[in-house]
Amino acid sequence: MASGTAQPRLRPEPSEQQLRSWSARRGEPDALGALRLEGLARYLDAPWPGRAEHLWRYTEPESLLPPGGLWPGDEAPRAPAARLAPAEGGALVLVRPGQAPIIAVSEGARRAGVSIVPLGAAGAGSGRLGALVGPHHGLFEALNTAAWSEGVAVHIARGALIPAPIRLVLSATAQTSVPRLLVVAEESCQATIVEEHVGGQPERFVVGVSELFVGPAARLRTVLLEGWEPGVSGHWSERARLERDAILLSVVGSFGGSRLKLALGVELDGPGAQAEIVGFALAEGQQHLDHHTEHCHRAPSTWSNIDFRAALSGQARFAYTGLIRIEPQAAKSEAYQEQRTLLLSDGARADAIPELEILTNDVRCTHGATCAPVPAEQLFYLRSRGIPAREAQQMVVRGFFEPALGRLPEPLRAGLAQRIEQRLDRLSAVASRTAVEAGP
Amino acid sequence: MQPLPLPPPPAPPALRDINVDYRERYGFADPEQYVLKAPRGLSHEVVAMISGIKHEPEWMRAFRHQALDLFLAKPMPAWGDQAMLRQIDFDQIYYYIRPTAEQGRNWSDVPAGIKSTFERLGIPEAERKFLAGVSAQYESEVVYHSIRKDLEAKGVIFSDMDTGLREHPELVRRYFATIIPPGDNKFAALNSAVWSGGSFIYVPPHTRVDMPLQAYFRINAERMGQFERTLIIADEGASVHYIEGCTAPIYAADSLHSAVVELVALPGARIRYTTIQNWSNNVFNLVTKRAVAHRDAEVQWVDGNLGSKLTMKYPCVVLMGERAHGEVLSIAFAGDGQHQDAGAKMFHLAPNTTSRITSKSISKGLGCASYRGWVKIAKGAKGSKTHVECDALLIDGASRSDTYPTMEIAEPDAAVEHEARVSKLADDQLFYLRSRGLDLEQARLMVINGFIEPFVRQLPMEYAVELNRLIELEMEGSVG
Repeated sequence: MASGTAQPRLRPEPSEQQLRSWSARRGEPDALGALRLEGLARYLDAPWPGRAEHLWRYTEPESLLPPGGLWPGDEAPRAPAARLAPAEGGALVLVRPGQAPIIAVSEGARRAGVSIVPLGAAGAGSGRLGALVGPHHGLFEALNTAAWSEGVAVHIARGALIPAPIRLVLSATAQTSVPRLLVVAEESCQATIVEEHVGGQPERFVVGVSELFVGPAARLRTVLLEGWEPGVSGHWSERARLERDAILLSVVGSFGGSRLKLALGVELDGPGAQAEIVGFALAEGQQHLDHHTEHCHRAPSTWSNIDFRAALSGQARFAYTGLIRIEPQAAKSEAYQEQRTLLLSDGARADAIPELEILTNDVRCTHGATCAPVPAEQLFYLRSRGIPAREAQQMVVRGFFEPALGRLPEPLRAGLAQRIEQRLDRLSAVASRTAVEAGP
Repeated sequence: MQPLPLPPPPAPPALRDINVDYRERYGFADPEQYVLKAPRGLSHEVVAMISGIKHEPEWMRAFRHQALDLFLAKPMPAWGDQAMLRQIDFDQIYYYIRPTAEQGRNWSDVPAGIKSTFERLGIPEAERKFLAGVSAQYESEVVYHSIRKDLEAKGVIFSDMDTGLREHPELVRRYFATIIPPGDNKFAALNSAVWSGGSFIYVPPHTRVDMPLQAYFRINAERMGQFERTLIIADEGASVHYIEGCTAPIYAADSLHSAVVELVALPGARIRYTTIQNWSNNVFNLVTKRAVAHRDAEVQWVDGNLGSKLTMKYPCVVLMGERAHGEVLSIAFAGDGQHQDAGAKMFHLAPNTTSRITSKSISKGLGCASYRGWVKIAKGAKGSKTHVECDALLIDGASRSDTYPTMEIAEPDAAVEHEARVSKLADDQLFYLRSRGLDLEQARLMVINGFIEPFVRQLPMEYAVELNRLIELEMEGSVG
């Protein structure tokens, strides 16, 4: 069970009284204070995950926590000091550690039915907070439940059509950030939420959680862009619950930071629910990306699909564990999972554990995983057409991501293609060396 | 008038009938007549007794005691079917039974009681017809053993492990437990402490054994543990095919089978190891199988898991030399109350090594079939290729299939592919066959036959007799 010697703690451990009064000073309802205490108790009791548990096979939990502890202290969040201008029809939110979130909802979005409030304020997400990612979902999830210090609750009204994306910008400016997001998309609404993780510097730590409730026939698109500065370590756990006929498209782009463990869970709770994850990861240098997806089919005729692609250069490491579970009651469900990794350099390393647990027979389920270098034939062909090695390699990498990009609707596709392009430019210096070595 | 409700489609007899006649065919139990039966439970005394009876050399005695300490110190696996693993009571098991004083070399020397057991299983006929050598293990000891004269003349050694240790101590000591050390896992430690019987095979350089060598394992007594130990060494450029079959009677109390199988394929050698495991549904089958393949060597595991209560078995090939090739072809059939937790491991440690894993499973009723695999490409294993394919067929609504493949790639110049599919019998295929005039039952049978065909094709004709008994004939028997 215990793999390390000393388990990093919140340090100093807040007493029950301290945690209560801190919660009260933030104006949180009693129930929320109780949830924090439960999270703390669970975190302190939970066994420390070791390599024997395959979800932690490739990442040391210690490496995601600051050595000095995570307790944000007794400070109540400071008042915001800036104003933001959201795009018309959308919303813009800035979440920074130790400060109250800055929330700007455009008039169009407000009229359409978007409301965004700081998490923890009276009434925000009551009964939902902690229902998807709570004290019992894991060590880091329990930690966040106990000690989250800032966040927002996004509510999209029934039947609302939100014309522009709701952008949530989360910055990792403090030594430790413990943000939390809650999204409730009511019946038949349609919206796009873009979650951008930015900022930071070496020795910055983030332990975040987001919960997404997708109501009947709602169509939600989320984009999770991880673009931290080099040196940031983080654990982010996101979980969505889909009701009848809900459709969720999650796009994930993992580009920055030093160490990231990202856990994406989807519960398909209502008949006809559909969930899709399209993921991109580009890593270089000493970057370490560990991704976990979990699709739980709990109702009949549900559908899920995962297409996750990673390209690695330098000494980068990418680990993927994915579970598809089809419960006995989820007949006529379909689930597909595909994970591909392209290794661009000699020191890169990839690990994958795609898992299936199928408990009923009337289903269709496949998964596939591949890992390979850039095919020498393709490079040779391109170079024989007069394309320099460096460009040839970039073209192959672009081609590798293209099928997944093609799955995305505009303007998400263009936005993500641009991000990948930026990232490729940074990779190119390293990549070109490899191409020359590998090329004929 | 109310229309009559349609009756539910009947389960095809082909499937319903798999192993229904196990009791009649294999489930008989002979009255226990033993020369020696060690007391229940596991202790250093029991280990000392086993080693003493066998007049083993000192190093083996020490090895057993050391292994027992390891077994006692090691925890049970924290993964797999925990509920089933908890049911194993190591103190209730008999670790050693000696059924007969002498090992028979001719069929007529074998005691009548044991002879009738194997006659019912069809061993002597099979031998007379096809097999090059045959060895039959009854409880802990090999009771009958024979090898063809021409093989003996070539220098091929095929004996039981105890005889091997007595007659070829230097060869055994050189390789024994080098592939699977006792500390490998709890069950390997258990086997190392109390092993008895199993096969020892040595094939000299550049010698081909064209006929398969066969062994048959049988548990007869209640609460019996069977711990055979097999070591096969194929010297440079040699080739050999070894086949084993396993059955047991049905008792109220569970039995334990925990074998260790080590294969050494020296440069250019070829080993194929075929198992058709049809233990009765109260046997825990927890087996460690591993092979090393040196330069240009090839190792194939052909593994059929039909019986047992819980099987945990992951045949492994360590590809140590350049261009070595490893292959696992397995089929698992999990009926009601069975959990077939099988899989494969491939470790690519040298350049240009290749491997292929093909796993097929059928779950029926409340059965659960799991694939658990591990493919590792070490740094420097340039140009290695591996392909893993898992197909699962779920027959009933309550059937379960799990797939847990692990892939670890530290060498960019390698190609790794994994794919898995889980489905029920395909409606469109059934529809097509029925549109051609087959009834539902025949159509389902045909689809299932097609599903397992790649496995059946790999079996040698003579051994297909056994598998056919177990699957195909029973399925085909239901077709008009």
